[in-house]
This record gives sequence, structure tokens and C-alpha cells, in this order.
Amino acid sequence: MEIMLSVFVLTALAILGFTAYVLLNFGAKEPRHRYRDLFLAIYGFTLITMVVVGLFAEWHIVFPWQELTAFYAVYGFAACVFLIYFAKGLRLWLPKEEDYYEKKEGM
Amino acid sequence: MIQWLHPGFILIFGAFLIPLFRGKWKQGYLLILPAAALIDVILMKMGVFGDIPISTWRLPFLEYELIFGRVDKLSFIFGLIFTLAALIVAIYALNAKSSVEHMSQYIYVGSALGVVFAGDLITLYIFWEIMAIASTLIIWHGGTDKARRAGFRYIMWHVAGGIILLAGIITYIGNTGSVDFNAFNLGSNSVYLPSLLIFIGFIINAAVPPLHAWLPDAYPESTVVGTVFLSIFTTKTAVYALARGFEGFDVLIWLGALMVVYPIFYAVLENDLRRVLCYSLINQVGFMLCGIGIGTALSVNGAISHAFGNILFEGLLFLCVGSVLYRTGPAKCTELGGLYRTMPLTTAFCFVGAASISAFPFFTGFVTKSMVIDATAGLGMAFVFLLLQLASAGVFHHAGIKVPFFAFFAEDANLNARDPPFNMLLSMGIAAVLCIFIGVYPYPLYQILPYPVVFEPYTAPHMIGQLQLLLFASLAFVVLIKSGLYPPEQRKINLDSDWPFRIAGAKFMRFVEGPLMSFAAWMDSNLKKIAADFSAYGEEKEERILIGVSVLLGLLFLASYLIIELIYGWIA
Repeated sequence: MEIMLSVFVLTALAILGFTAYVLLNFGAKEPRHRYRDLFLAIYGFTLITMVVVGLFAEWHIVFPWQELTAFYAVYGFAACVFLIYFAKGLRLWLPKEEDYYEKKEGM
Repeated sequence: MIQWLHPGFILIFGAFLIPLFRGKWKQGYLLILPAAALIDVILMKMGVFGDIPISTWRLPFLEYELIFGRVDKLSFIFGLIFTLAALIVAIYALNAKSSVEHMSQYIYVGSALGVVFAGDLITLYIFWEIMAIASTLIIWHGGTDKARRAGFRYIMWHVAGGIILLAGIITYIGNTGSVDFNAFNLGSNSVYLPSLLIFIGFIINAAVPPLHAWLPDAYPESTVVGTVFLSIFTTKTAVYALARGFEGFDVLIWLGALMVVYPIFYAVLENDLRRVLCYSLINQVGFMLCGIGIGTALSVNGAISHAFGNILFEGLLFLCVGSVLYRTGPAKCTELGGLYRTMPLTTAFCFVGAASISAFPFFTGFVTKSMVIDATAGLGMAFVFLLLQLASAGVFHHAGIKVPFFAFFAEDANLNARDPPFNMLLSMGIAAVLCIFIGVYPYPLYQILPYPVVFEPYTAPHMIGQLQLLLFASLAFVVLIKSGLYPPEQRKINLDSDWPFRIAGAKFMRFVEGPLMSFAAWMDSNLKKIAADFSAYGEEKEERILIGVSVLLGLLFLASYLIIELIYGWIA
């Protein structure tokens, strides 16, 4: 039961840290929020604790690779990197000017 | 005493009275219609008009009997969410002035309800086509030249789909003699081909790649409200039809897996936020089709509950982006940014939608989508499981981070905007509250699902796994942006699977207008020359008689051929 309680608290922290850091402080030239470093710390803390807590959870294992330590963390990271790089590759030939069809269709 | 009232008919016939009202009366009437339909659906559940399942409103048609009202658990849950969503969007739509636009929207929703409660294939087809026409009108209300042309491309897809569906229905009725719309028996040879045609008709409306291009092409061209309506009903009606007819059809697993993965790359590339959401809609429907294809009680429950939840949170995201569009004009990543300061409430609602669609614990997506993913794991489908998890990370990337990030945060674009009017905020607020409520306390939703639910989303490994996946996906985004490797947003459009049709269509027309027409003109002038040479031999009168006689003979020949065919056919 303790593990459930800690997971609930961690979830709330994760959502807070992630939202506040990634959304609020990203892409801005000057710091947007005075607790920026605190949010970053919360974000980093949840990243690490999620992996640590995962070591103690009783996983429901179906596939052999689920036994890997922090499988979901590795997979989530790899998936997102793959996704962005693959999309970057598609960029070589999919994007066209906004009036592409107008010109091609001769209208 | 009316035993049962069709909620779709309330909306369809009620819609025709909308132009009679003005001002406040009109706004009230616009709310009463979907509210009445919602109460009507809820009363069905309460069993006032008999316990579900019921089937009522039978009308004779040709030699068949049409069933307009078939209520069981499956049609009830879709009827409930459709009317609920209609009410939420109706609140949002009160600012729109055009009565005709409201009419086409309500007829569209009514016909979607008609499909859901249809007990036979003919009724299904009638409402299916009304839905196609009404949705085209909604697209045309965008009012721009682009909208007009996108509407034509949209109706082409749906007419093609409708004809394939009709062909399937006719051959099905011909082979089996039954018009009932139930699960198709794919094992039997006489049913297989017709039901396959019906299946193709359904998956065109579900936007399965590569038959999906109409969706991101046409939906964003409609009005602010129109896009929200469109995003809810057409695809979910197709999901309902597939759940009814093709539960456990394993092709759907692979189509669903393709469907969850294909659009996420487009969502990364796309600049227009409404198009990003359209691709995310296709991806979400993929999870539902996958669940229907697996066909176990858990997976079908997951698919249906995901459809229910998706209407709320995808709708909420469309409402938020619509509000941005309503206040600022464009909805493109390259032109937006920093709106969290001026549109704080919209930002908050958008965040709820984003967290729900990314399936964070305590939000709707977590309690619905994980049923489908668990079902794939339970059956040992490793590849599908990994694809669905990849897509989950992808959803989080584009709908969870990209949409809120580029619209409300990112580089400040110094746009002069403020939160939308009260009614729009109210409708977003209702959707947001429902998203959180179902996420925290999903049991009322689980109770109305078609099969009994034995599933507990809030277990420690489940939550930890999901949070690891999401948080480390966000870490990848952070690392890539920090190191400058993330591809910047571009002011471009992206080619999709409709490219061959559009280019081939345009090329063919140019061929017809250019080479073919000049060839025809050349033939024409030569023939005229030959005819002139001939006519030089005779008087004008004889020439006329000659032409007359040859045409008459030709016609007589044709007519006799037809008559002989007819008699032959009659005898045989």
C-alpha cells in the first residue's frame, strides 16, 4: 500500500514538474518563472525516482524484455528520439510550399 | 403513448425550426435540442420505456422491415456520448451567427445518432449518406475558396465509400435475404465478399491509412465550431459500425497498428495545429480499431471506452485550438506562442486535454487506452504491443507537448488576445471536468460498457510504467530541443496519400483539355472536310434524307437489340 501512496504523490509531482518546467520555461530567452530551477529539480527528481521505484514494483511480466530494468523508460526515450529523427528524414521530401497544390492543379 | 423517441429525430427535425428563432430565443432553442436528446438517451437507460436491449420503430420498406431504434449496451453508450458531446459543443457554438450552419451541424449529429440506433443495413445506409452530405455542408461553411475545394474532395471520398458500402449491402441482402445489421459471419462464403465491401465502406469513414487523406485535408478548412463537430462524429460512427459488425476481425488489429503509427510522424511535421490534432485523431481511432480487432471482452471494452473518452479530450483540444483561432486568426505553430499570459483559462483547459490524451494517470486516457494495450500484452502480441507503446509516446509528443507548447508557450509572438467568451469557456470547462472525473473515478463509465469489466487501472507497476514512458519521452524532447537537433517548425504543407489522386486528376484533366481536345478538333475538321466532299456530289435535300435514313436505321437496330434482349431475359 505504501508503494501505491508514494506512486500517487510522485505522479502529482511529475505532472507539476513537467508542466512547469517544459511548458513554462522552454523556448523563452529570459527565465519566465522565478522557481524555474525548483521545477527543473522536481522534473529531474521524478525522472530518477520513477526508475528507482520501478525496481521495487512487482511487474506483471508477459514478454521477456519487460524484465529489463526500467524498460519503459528506455523505450519511451528511444521511441521519442526515433520518432523525431524519422520525421526529420521525412522532411526531405514530404513538405512543400503552402501553395503547392494550387500551382500543380493549375487553379 | 410514445414508447420510444429517437434522439436523432429530435435533432434532425428540430434543426429545421432553427431559422424561425432570433437572438436569445435562438440561443435557448439551440441548447434545448441537444439537451432534450441527451435526456431522451438517459431515460432509455432508466428503463422507463422498457429494459435495454429494445428494438422499436419498425417501418415496412419494400419487402423488408426497417428498425430505426435498436437499443442495447453498445448503441446506448455511443448514443450517450454523442448527445453529451453535442450539448457541450452546442454551448461552444452559441456565438456562431448562421442559422444554416447550425442546421447542418444538428442534422449531422442527428444522422450520426440515426446510424448508431439503426437496427438494419438499409437504415444504416440512409443515415450514413445524410451524414456525408451534412458534413460536406459543414466544411463549406468555412466560406473560403480553399474550404469549397476541400469540400469537393471530401465528398468524392465519401461518395466512393458510400457506393462501396451500398454495393456491399445490396449483395449482402441478395445473398442472405436478411437486412439485419449484426456481427457479420465472415466464415460463410456467401457473406464474406459482401461484408468485405461493407468493411471497406466503414474503414473509409474511420480514416484508415491510406484512405484517410480526406480528414486532415478537409476538417481544418471548416469554421471554428464546424471542425469540432466533424472531429467527433464521422470517425466514431465508423468505430461504432465496426464494433457492431466486425468485432474480432483480425485484419483490424493490423490496420489499427498502422493507423496509430502512420500519423504520428505527420503530426511532428505539421505546422497547422488543427491538422496536428486531425492526425492525432486518426492515431486515436487506431487504438480503437486495434481493440475491436482483438475482440476479447477487455479489448472491446477498451476500444469503446477509449471512443467515449476520446470524444471528450480530443474534443476539448479542438475546442481550445478553436478558441485560439477565434481570438488570433491563425492556428499555426510558426505564428503562435506565449498565449498563456493572455489566455490563461484556455491554457489550463488545453493542458487537461493534453494530459488526458497522453494518458497521464488521473486523466481519462489512462483508464481507457491502457485496456487496449493490456489486451495486446495479455494475448502475447509483442509487435503490436510495442507499436502501441511507440504511438503512446508519439501522442504525448505531439498532442501533449507540441500543441500546448507552440500555442501557449514557446517564443512569445506578442499576439493581442484574451480568453474567449463565457459560453466557450463553460463548454471547455465541462469537457475538462469530465476528463478529470473519468480519469479519477472511471467506474461509472466501466459500468455502462458492453462487457463486464474486470480491470483495475491504478496499480503500482501500471502507473510507474506509464510515467516512465511519458517522462522519458519528454526528456528526449527536452534534450533534442536543448541541443538544437529538434527540427524547427516550417511554414509548409505535407504531402499525404491523396497526392497521387490530386496530381493524377489534375494531369488527366490537363491531358483532356490539351492534347485530347486538339486531337478531337483535328478529327472534327477532317470529318467535316470529308462530309463536305460527299455533300458536293448531291443536292441538299438528298443529303438530308441520307442522314435521316441512316440515323433511323441505327436507332431501329439498337431498339430491336434491346427488345430482343428484354424478351430473352423475360423468357429465361
